[in-house]
Amino acid sequence: MTADALRFDGLVKVFGDVRALDGVTASLTAPATGLLGANGAGKSTLMKVALGLLAPDEGQVRVLGMDASRHGAAIRARVGYMPEHACLPTDMSAQDLCLHLARLRGLTRRDALRRASEVLFAVGLEEERHRLVATYSLGMAQRTKLAQALVHGPDLVVLDEPTSGLDPAGRHEMLAILRHLSRDLGIQVVISSHVLDDIERTCDEVIVLAAGRVAARQTVTGTAAAGPVALQVTGDPAAFAALLHERGVRASVDGPRLFLPDGSPAVLDAVRDLAAERGVGVLSLVDGTRALEDAVVEAMA
Amino acid sequence: MTSPPAARLYDVRYSRHTGPREPRRRSVLALARSSATRALGLKRTPGAKVWPFLLLAAAYLPVVAAVGVPLLAEGVSPSDVLAHQQLLGLLTPVVIAFSATTLPSLLTRERRDRVLSLYFSTALSPAEYVLGKVLAALALVAVVGLGPLLALFAGTVVTADAPLQQLRDDIGDLPGLVGAGLAVTVYFAGVGLLAGSLTAKRVFAVGGLLAALLVTPLVSALASTESGERNLLALDLSQAAVRAGATLLGGEPFEPDPPASALVWAVWAVVVVGSLAVLAWRYADPEDA
Repeated sequence: MTADALRFDGLVKVFGDVRALDGVTASLTAPATGLLGANGAGKSTLMKVALGLLAPDEGQVRVLGMDASRHGAAIRARVGYMPEHACLPTDMSAQDLCLHLARLRGLTRRDALRRASEVLFAVGLEEERHRLVATYSLGMAQRTKLAQALVHGPDLVVLDEPTSGLDPAGRHEMLAILRHLSRDLGIQVVISSHVLDDIERTCDEVIVLAAGRVAARQTVTGTAAAGPVALQVTGDPAAFAALLHERGVRASVDGPRLFLPDGSPAVLDAVRDLAAERGVGVLSLVDGTRALEDAVVEAMA
Repeated sequence: MTSPPAARLYDVRYSRHTGPREPRRRSVLALARSSATRALGLKRTPGAKVWPFLLLAAAYLPVVAAVGVPLLAEGVSPSDVLAHQQLLGLLTPVVIAFSATTLPSLLTRERRDRVLSLYFSTALSPAEYVLGKVLAALALVAVVGLGPLLALFAGTVVTADAPLQQLRDDIGDLPGLVGAGLAVTVYFAGVGLLAGSLTAKRVFAVGGLLAALLVTPLVSALASTESGERNLLALDLSQAAVRAGATLLGGEPFEPDPPASALVWAVWAVVVVGSLAVLAWRYADPEDA
């Protein structure tokens, strides 16, 4: 468990008659946290409040342990941001842009030059870094946006819809880079998306926003690791459950399926061995918990 | 027998930055330098350099000519060929053209490309951003508004038969010279940034600024002629800075019967303070980014 990347206490933001954030209270501590929600759920507003681009009407924000209303400069130095919208100067090259932003964020010229090359290499733009951004494809522009967010070596990066507009191959590569950030480089990552699969592949925890509130919060990696499993076999499920009981494995029958509350590797080995011994076919063996998708859909409904 | 060394794979492409961070003022200066160089077309396409450098050449051409004459004709000083008052008058159209076409893009381009959200979230506060842009604008206008005056001063000294004696004789003019150049620089930096802060489209900013600077001479001249009140000419925004600067220079004014100095300076102050106030207001709220 790492320190709080972001902490929101009773956050309220109102635009006219719309309460974009309606008392959001949450602490983001996982290495990578996904903010999931439908359009208008409050994801982008929450990110802008966290980054100091919007002032909350009520409540407090702490970024990397610092009060956002009092330590703006210190926070800016330690945070990277990749907006969803187009935000790149079209008449600059990716190299010049990264160098420029690194200098603005306080790096010396020598460090800025080195870091610009490093991050552009890391996001796969080393060959194209001297071309004008205006000539880039959407995928290359997304990579440039990510590179500029990383160029000053932030402790926290906030990414708004990072896979927006990418083709499948580009999306796969982008997700791999994002996972690399939190898993291997120790950078805390907050990703906003309305694509559940992106969050599942890159985050450790997901917070679901709906109508400006936290509707659900769930660990991503914990759901499928050792929880209950649902089993479907050929033949009589009750008879197979009885045989499992003889081997010390608890199983209940639920229609054509068996429900095993413990899905640990030892139990799964026992199921495999018994099925092999008795010549029983295993038709399906799936995660028996309520799936993340179910929880998200329910929370967003 | 020793065990073989374990292989280890390093990712050399990216590492965390733990190096030093420079003070905030260096970041502001970096923004100012980057903005000024890009406005001049440096690090951009060759076409982007043509217009700014054409105007730079136009600003220094009279000085080059004035300084060149004494090299051809003995006993003639550059200040005999071109007085500082005259040079100030000659510079007016060049400074207007340079300010109107170069300064708005200091702000419009970044608003158009929506770069401000990056700046304000992870790089600079709005106040630092505005300060950097003001410094860039001052530096740019100083090159065409103050630089030629100083070049003429230096040329007069260098081409004199006794340069040190010439310097001693003329050094008293230097504060007025710098003051006049700064009056022009601050004024046009202010109005150039004002125009750029009001829109994301450069063409609108340039058009609006040129309209304001070209319409007020006609209106003020008409009002002055109709009323017979010479001081109404002070409302000519295209000449306000040069007239204010001229009051700081000795010698013959570049125009006969100028409006009252106090009125000229009042217009200058209102325009400069008003421009900076609007600029600060436009960037006070990062939400606007």
